[in-house]
Amino acid sequence: MKELEKTKRISIAAVLFILIIIIGLLFYERPKHVYTVNSNDMLEKVIKADYFIALDKIDDPSIVLIDIRSPFEFEKGHLNGAINISTPELLKGDNPELFNKMVANKKVAVLYGSTPTEANNAFMVLYQLGFENIKILLVSLGYEQNKLITKNSIIEKNVTDINAFIAESQKKIKIVPKPKKRIPKKVIPKKKKKKMPVEGGC
Amino acid sequence: MINRKLAKVLSFRYKILAVIFLVLAGGLVVLPKYEKQEGILPEALLKNAVSSERYISTDELADLIINQDPSFILIDVREEESYKKFSLPNSINIPLDKLLSEDSNSYLNQDQFDVILFSNDHFYADQAWLICNRLDYNHIRVLKGGLNAWFNTIINPEKPSENQSVIASELYSFRKAASMYFGVAYPDEFKAKPVVKIIPKKKVIPKKKKKKMPVEGGC
Repeated sequence: MKELEKTKRISIAAVLFILIIIIGLLFYERPKHVYTVNSNDMLEKVIKADYFIALDKIDDPSIVLIDIRSPFEFEKGHLNGAINISTPELLKGDNPELFNKMVANKKVAVLYGSTPTEANNAFMVLYQLGFENIKILLVSLGYEQNKLITKNSIIEKNVTDINAFIAESQKKIKIVPKPKKRIPKKVIPKKKKKKMPVEGGC
Repeated sequence: MINRKLAKVLSFRYKILAVIFLVLAGGLVVLPKYEKQEGILPEALLKNAVSSERYISTDELADLIINQDPSFILIDVREEESYKKFSLPNSINIPLDKLLSEDSNSYLNQDQFDVILFSNDHFYADQAWLICNRLDYNHIRVLKGGLNAWFNTIINPEKPSENQSVIASELYSFRKAASMYFGVAYPDEFKAKPVVKIIPKKKVIPKKKKKKMPVEGGC
C-alpha cells in the first residue's frame, strides 16, 4: 500500500509539472520582431560594403524606392516612384508586412534619405531583422526654389590633408616677417567696431 | 489479481509520462534558434538610432580637448593607414573589423569614460555606434561630421561676413583660437617661433576677456 501511495505521489507531481509547463507555453508571447543576424555577422556585412547602389541604376523594375525621411520632407519633394516609410515608423503598423511582401516578390528595397548616413539607420535595423534584400542609395538631396535636387554622394571621402594644411600655414610665417608687428594692433580695434553698434542698442 | 491490474495501468501511465517528457525535451532543442537574440530589443534599437543624442559637435569636442578634460576616449574607426596619416590628438585606432575583438572590448564596454567615435564623415562611426548600441554599451557618442567637419570648423574656420551676428564672430574667434592650439599658424598673429606653442594657449583666455569687456562697458 505504501508503495502505491509513493507511486501515486510521483505521478501527481509529474502531472502537475506538465500542467505548469503547458500553462507557461500558453502565456508565452512570441516577440514581435526577432533578430536573425547576430552582431558579428552584422559587422562583417558592414565591412563588406556591397550594399550601395548608385543613382543611375535605379530604373530597374525589381527595385522599390523607399524614402525614410519624415512625411513632411517627403511632401516637399521625393524621387519618382518612391514610397514613404519614415524611420521611426519602420516597425509599426503594416510596414513589416510590406517588407515581407517585398521579400516574397523578390524585390530589392533601396533606402534613401537626405544623406546616405540618414538611410544607414534604417538599413542596419532592417538587415538585422532579416531583410537581406536592401541597399542604400548613394544620393544627397537638397532643395533649390522648392525643387528637389539630387547629387551623387561618395561616403567617407577625406576632404583635405590636415597635416599638409597645418604645415602650409606654418611655412607662410617664415616668408612674412615684418608686417607682423603692425597687424596685431589692427585685429582688436576691428572687433570693437563690430560690437559698438550692438551696445548702442542697449 | 488486483495488484497486477493496478501495476499494468500504472506502467501504462508511466509510459505516457515518459513520452510527454521526451516531447518536451525535443522542444528544448528548438530553443537555440533564439541565440541570435543577443542585445536590446529591435524597437529600442530603432528608437536609439533615430535620436540624435549621440552626436557631439566639433566645437564641443575642441572645447573638451583644449580644457584637457580627462573623462573621454577618442576612437578612430578608419583603417590604420588613414589613422597614421592624421588623427585627432590622443586618439586610439580601432578599425571597423576589429570593433568586436577582445582588446577593443575593454575600451568600449566600460562605464568609466565617455567614448567618442569618429571617422572621415560620420557614416562609419554611426555604423560602429549602432553595433555597440545593440550590445548595450553605454556612454558611446559620435563626432558629427567627423574629420571633414573638424577641418571645416576648427582647423580652417570660415570667417563670418561683416553683417553676421556677434555670436557668429565670437564663434569664429573661438574656432580660430582652437585652430592655433592645434598647430595652425596665422601670419598676422605670429610673434616669434619658439613662443608659438605657448601663446595660443594664453591667447585663448585673454581674447575672451577682451571680447566681453566692451559689451559690459556698453551696458
